[in-house]
Amino acid sequence: MSNLKKLFAFGLMFVLMLIISACNGEEAADESDQTKGETEENTAPANGEKVKIEFWHAMSGPNQQAIDDIVADYNASQDKYEVESLFQGSYEESLTKLRSVGGTADAPAIMQVFEVGTKYMIESGYIEPVQTFIDKDGYDISQLEENILNYYSVDDQLYSMPFNSSTPVMLYNKDAFAAAGLDPENPPETFEEVKAAAEKLTNGDMKGFSILLYGWFFEEMLATQGGLYVDADNGRTGEVTEALFNGEEGRRVFEFLKEMNDAGTLGNFGSVWDDIRTAFVSGQVAMYLDSSAGISGVVESAPFEVGAAYIPHSEEADRNGVIIGGASLWMMNGISEEEQAGAWDFMKYLQTAPVQAKWHVTTGYFAINPAAYDEAIVKERWIQYPQFQVTVDQLQDTKPSTATQGALISVFPESREHIVTAIEELYQGGDPQAVLDKAAESTNRAIEIANKTSGN
Amino acid sequence: MKMPLSQKVLFYILLTIFAVLVFFPVAYAFLISFMTPQEVLMGNILPRSFSFGNYEQAFERLPLLRYLLNSFVVSTIVMAGQVLVCAMAAYVFVFLPFRGSNLIFFLFISTMMIPWEATMIPNFLLVQGFGWTNTYMALTLPFFASAFGTFLLRQHFLTIPYELYEAAQIGGVGKLKFFWKVVLPMSKTSVITLGAYSFLTTWNMYLWPLLTTTNDTVRTVQIGIRQLQSNESATDWGVVMAGVMIIILPTLILLFLGQKQLQKGLTQGAIK
Amino acid sequence: MKLWKRSVNVRVGLLYLLPSIILFSMFVFYPMAKTIYLSFFLTNQNGLPVYFNGIENYTYIFSSDEFRNSMKATLLFVIYTVPVSVLIALIMAILANEKLKGIGFYRTIFSSTMGISVAASAVVWLFLFHPSVGAFNNILKAINLPAVQWLLDPEWALLSVSLTTIWMNIGFNFLVILGGLQNIDESLYESATIDGAGYFTKLRRITIPLLSPTLFFIITISLINTFQSFGQIDILTKGGPIQSTNLVVYSIYKEAFVNYQFGTASAQAIVLFAVVLIVTILQFKFGERKVHYQ
Repeated sequence: MSNLKKLFAFGLMFVLMLIISACNGEEAADESDQTKGETEENTAPANGEKVKIEFWHAMSGPNQQAIDDIVADYNASQDKYEVESLFQGSYEESLTKLRSVGGTADAPAIMQVFEVGTKYMIESGYIEPVQTFIDKDGYDISQLEENILNYYSVDDQLYSMPFNSSTPVMLYNKDAFAAAGLDPENPPETFEEVKAAAEKLTNGDMKGFSILLYGWFFEEMLATQGGLYVDADNGRTGEVTEALFNGEEGRRVFEFLKEMNDAGTLGNFGSVWDDIRTAFVSGQVAMYLDSSAGISGVVESAPFEVGAAYIPHSEEADRNGVIIGGASLWMMNGISEEEQAGAWDFMKYLQTAPVQAKWHVTTGYFAINPAAYDEAIVKERWIQYPQFQVTVDQLQDTKPSTATQGALISVFPESREHIVTAIEELYQGGDPQAVLDKAAESTNRAIEIANKTSGN
Repeated sequence: MKMPLSQKVLFYILLTIFAVLVFFPVAYAFLISFMTPQEVLMGNILPRSFSFGNYEQAFERLPLLRYLLNSFVVSTIVMAGQVLVCAMAAYVFVFLPFRGSNLIFFLFISTMMIPWEATMIPNFLLVQGFGWTNTYMALTLPFFASAFGTFLLRQHFLTIPYELYEAAQIGGVGKLKFFWKVVLPMSKTSVITLGAYSFLTTWNMYLWPLLTTTNDTVRTVQIGIRQLQSNESATDWGVVMAGVMIIILPTLILLFLGQKQLQKGLTQGAIK
Repeated sequence: MKLWKRSVNVRVGLLYLLPSIILFSMFVFYPMAKTIYLSFFLTNQNGLPVYFNGIENYTYIFSSDEFRNSMKATLLFVIYTVPVSVLIALIMAILANEKLKGIGFYRTIFSSTMGISVAASAVVWLFLFHPSVGAFNNILKAINLPAVQWLLDPEWALLSVSLTTIWMNIGFNFLVILGGLQNIDESLYESATIDGAGYFTKLRRITIPLLSPTLFFIITISLINTFQSFGQIDILTKGGPIQSTNLVVYSIYKEAFVNYQFGTASAQAIVLFAVVLIVTILQFKFGERKVHYQ
């Protein structure tokens, strides 16, 4: 009986808590109502009424914190605009939401979209290319990282402002290298070398090599061999009609994975970033591919020394470099000119060296503005984490080509799914060429549908 | 009934085994919610100390109180709306049947078989068209009519003698008065059950709030859990579990308080 | 005048039914019709139906391995979860129906999973299944068994997701079945005891037959709900590995919201609807015969 009383008291407390928070909530709601009314009525702000800029992003966890901090800094730095950063779910989900509010008053001013959504956004009709503002403003984009601009430029137009860019990098366990008699300062560079090293590193619970089940890493290993993902020069020069990733270069990647899988030197830790990182940190895999944005977290939590290296490439092809991953910021076209001006101002603010430096060191994403690398905090960070240097070098060593520029197709998210399925089938004993062909076929169907329905 | 001691002990052992199995995930999550990432990584079972650091962090990262309030408001509105709408419909099927009312009943029940996801896309476009995104309207109105609720209440109303209704009619008691003054009070159990059930299911809604809210004004607490999970960076499981605890606490308390009621009422739907 | 009076039930009845009718029309029937409409089209990047595709969407999904696979996974998932979760809940309810000291505590624990949302449950289980720090693999390690790739091994993933779902459903099932048990007349047991019936005889002869309407109800609800499982898949496996957990509803979601193919997604939704309908009709046809009403 006394138990019941206690429970009841507990419940009462909860109700009280809710009532209290309800009062607060109502106040907050009232306030927002008021401000809304004011903006509608007072078109001429007497005491510096701020223009609201809605900014949608897909960063959760620590990265969300980093964005919120930057936004707060920006809001404090001037008194014309008030940027409001809003988390909208994963990249896929936020894109879904955008599609349903695109072109209406509910649309945000700035939208963060992942790299493979580029083509979709260009065709969506909801956006205003940032090139418009660059031209109008005489903004000098040559100060920004060329390789990154390359990805987001189509027909020499910069459509969106790069924001969080990352590249793949191979992380390895230096202690395990030493224990296996390998040189920790001389990581393997080619598929064959990785295979040989994985053989030596596999030991008990530890597997030699692994990749996340994510299409991006396949795209990168394809690109570094100079392989194209789709025809029409990766979609950069015309209409895409079919997938090319099941060619020679793609097959090499799949054979590379298959041979290690058959030899028992390849680990599979699924498609969740956190899982493969945990596996690495807890010594279940000695080498794996990660995003440059993951380095600091891994280095911090690993009880051993972490090395970073360029992603491996096939012996039969030269190293071409990497494609930019991550996301960029898009300007919407359904909003007022005032808001656009504010959004553009915020975008420019984001590209300044101090902001980029802060962003780079807190998240591990690239600095879009290379000048940021001269900032003191970055230099300190690089001494602490020399691994960052490798990722920057790798990007700057990249040979610009249609392969490393990355493919432009509107059905990219779907195609990535097919690649993941193909890799999974490969791990279950599938034939490299056969599973790749299947993925290509599914991608082709998606491309065909997209072509059938576009232009309407 | 008397029970031999040995049998009693056996029952207690079995009960305890099941209790441990059922409650283990929650208890474990509770313990994790006090751990630092390192402790989690080492696979500890007990946290080193019961400090509320992770909870503070969870509250710091997100306006969890605001989300809790939103969930509470949305769930309460759906609860009230659903009980009223369903009770009115069930009343007709039991006390005011007309030619074709059975057909309508069957039509209503058939909606139970339509997966929500099958109608989600058009629904979303509809709500969007009304300009209801980021309003309580979008989160509540579509759930007022419920086949399950109508069915549940109908089953209970059927146990009220029809003679009572006839007597009331002869006695000049209006239909509305009979509904309010006789049917609803007599079906208190079912009404409360449906209320609790709809409150819980609304509280737990996941995909719909994610699609129809684009800012924090009406966003519900379930979305918080997703936001706590990192996307591209290592997940801090301690904070995530603290968030889970905060989210499940209100519904668990509600369930514990209303458990007897629920269990009595839900079976009314089962037995004709 | 006579007609007017006779039709009073219709008029008042429709008035009372009006809210339900309007709401169902708006949020169920109209969207359902629109889904059917969309299933004959291909949609463009903005989700507008622009290319009439006839029944090609249907012939495509029926000929595609992917969709057949997801139908198979869904059926397996239903077979794994529904009987087990009802059976476990039944055992728990029978145990918890005894008049023992502190039984209220056990009842509370047993029903607790009903108060835990899909999102929260799935996140907790995601951690339990975690390949390197999860509780399950820690336990296996402690008793010297090899670790299991719960969510990554295509052989295990569907079972793991089913396990989670069983756990999530137990609370609700338990509560309903316990309620059913408590509705059984006490005197039946007493007279059976006088006749010298043992515990299991009573269980078989009295409890199960009288409980059959409740069991029928809970099985029907479970079947329908299980066919529509979404949240746990989204959080635990996202349909992988090798689409072994790509249940139909998840497949619809992916087709619509990741691939932007509302047309084929709608066609899949219609097929799902048909399957659920058929299963329910079969259940009523064959299941209700065995139900024993008081």
